[in-house]
Amino acid sequence: MSALIIFVLLTFLMLSGMPVSISLGLTVLTFLFAFTSTPLEAVALKLFTGIEKFEIMAIPFFILAGNFLTHGGVAKRMIHFATSMVGHLRGGLGLSSVFACALFAAVSGSSPATVVAIGSILLPAMVRAGYPKKFGVGVIASSGGLGILIPPSIVMVMYAVSTNSSIGALFMAGVVPGLLLALFLGFTTWYVAKKGNYPREKPSSWAERWDAFRKAVWGLLLILVVMGGIYSGLFTPTEAAAMSAVYAFFIAVFVYKDIGFADVPKVLLNSANMSAMLLYIITNAVLFSFILTNEQIPQGIAEWLTHSGVGMIGFLVAVNLLLLVMGSFMEPSSIILITAPILFPIAMKLGIDPIHFGVMITVNMEIGMITPPVGLNLYVASGVAKMGLTDCSKAVWPWLLTMLVFLMVITYVPVVSTWLPKTLGMM
Amino acid sequence: MKYLDHLEEWIITFLIGAATLIIFVAVMHRYAAGLPIPGVQDWLIALNLSWAQELCIIMFVWMAKFGAAYGVRTGIHVGVDVLINSLSDSIRARFIVFGLLAGAFFTGIIGALGAHFVWENGAHYAIFNTLGIAGKELYAGPTTPDLEWPTWMVYSAIPLGSSLMCFRFLQVMVSFIRTGELPHHEHGHVDGIEAEAAVVAGNVADDLHAHDLKHDTRHPESKVGAGGTAGGDKGDAK
Repeated sequence: MSALIIFVLLTFLMLSGMPVSISLGLTVLTFLFAFTSTPLEAVALKLFTGIEKFEIMAIPFFILAGNFLTHGGVAKRMIHFATSMVGHLRGGLGLSSVFACALFAAVSGSSPATVVAIGSILLPAMVRAGYPKKFGVGVIASSGGLGILIPPSIVMVMYAVSTNSSIGALFMAGVVPGLLLALFLGFTTWYVAKKGNYPREKPSSWAERWDAFRKAVWGLLLILVVMGGIYSGLFTPTEAAAMSAVYAFFIAVFVYKDIGFADVPKVLLNSANMSAMLLYIITNAVLFSFILTNEQIPQGIAEWLTHSGVGMIGFLVAVNLLLLVMGSFMEPSSIILITAPILFPIAMKLGIDPIHFGVMITVNMEIGMITPPVGLNLYVASGVAKMGLTDCSKAVWPWLLTMLVFLMVITYVPVVSTWLPKTLGMM
Repeated sequence: MKYLDHLEEWIITFLIGAATLIIFVAVMHRYAAGLPIPGVQDWLIALNLSWAQELCIIMFVWMAKFGAAYGVRTGIHVGVDVLINSLSDSIRARFIVFGLLAGAFFTGIIGALGAHFVWENGAHYAIFNTLGIAGKELYAGPTTPDLEWPTWMVYSAIPLGSSLMCFRFLQVMVSFIRTGELPHHEHGHVDGIEAEAAVVAGNVADDLHAHDLKHDTRHPESKVGAGGTAGGDKGDAK
């Protein structure tokens, strides 16, 4: 009963268009005030202690690191490198888009920014080279989401903090699926290009490739700082995030010289703005999961599920459907923070691996970025391409289908996600 | 008002920058102290930086509270606006005002609860003691583990930040009622790309934020784009 009240209230408040964080907070306040005798002062305290965890502080650091490198100059270097490597294949600029998006998204950490940065350079180039615009929009909007899966990923940190999983293991688990998805998307791109007989670029020499690599590598080393630092035990994940922020600052200001000292406060302010928004959702989501646990709602659902005989396979299908639907209306962080505290205990009860479950949720979030009506990548792609939103949603379908196939693979072949962290002894 | 705006921006910029530096220095210190450099090593080991983590958390919590208030002013807070964006202007305007009032209401309550909590857990004692009014019998409140700062000072981020946020919600509401405009945040803004593309990309309206009443004049291209299709466009077709 209380579960019903909580969810109806939350849905109503969210649909009225107020910020997700405020909807969560108001749901908790209303519920506590009307149906329980928990002292309200506890709520105010929880608002502070809710984010008093050092792990959560990885989020602002990663956002800062990403913002230092979210720059047209970095995008150009990544594109140059990608084109020199795969440009000579059939549909070369399309394949380069997938590759460049994967690289840029991994360092910038923002899918919409990736679509804008890569799209505004490669999309006009593709149109000039004779590719249909639809093809370009489809490739870039769908590949822009790759960053969510390739570490460092903020969505993964969100999952790790709300389920107390290991950030390091989760990051490591994202590596193989991330590369595999890039391969899947690349294959679809190549196939569509082959059928349409799209052009290819003239091959680059190995000297040119080396030169392009040397310029792009400074940005890419950020991934190494994070993953190497965590894996070798030099840094905790949060420290690794802070080190990557300092590294990104150093590269952007002194090596690439894309931004000057005068721009640094602006980057800091923008990062603080974005981080504060996410941290504010987290604080309110902590309150929300506090009343869920208090009312024993996840336990109730888990009990009901095990009694009704829905097994692991049925549960995973249901989770995928739920997340895909939510993904079409909300942004990834809010979805994870709201659903993880409910779904995670059930998944544990059914014997699903926490890391595998995390990767699966992350892939769902990635698909949510390109499903209408609220696929953020579609919005920005539509802006960059000056193409209607409906046309953009139609343009992505070959890649959307590929991602759904990939989601099935991730869901039912856990070893894809768990192999690397297990081999490295991180879980 | 200008001063408050600048102060807010200055505080959060400083907090995120300083927290990054502190953790960087603490990590560097941890490894540098292991290097066998005569003289320097002893000095480094003598330096105690165990408080860095706690300070970083405190700084980020303060940044989060004040940044959330700043975020109301920049319109960054995301919501589920598909439904209300498909409504007519006048009805949507009512929902927007309702949402902003709800935001002000929630942050106002949290501000008041937080103030009460802080007052009971040390602020009362500290202020009365400093002023020399008899306050010895009051509760002095706990301190933080590493820095040993009184927690009421640390926790005062809640009443201060929340009240500021409440004020920002009301401010945005008043300006919306007067001008029909909402602050809008640009998702996917990237510096250093060709000017034309950057302008277009920054202008995209999404359904994570409510469209305000000036939405049509600001996004002419989305109407052109959607016009070619059979009206199945849920986002921008209006």
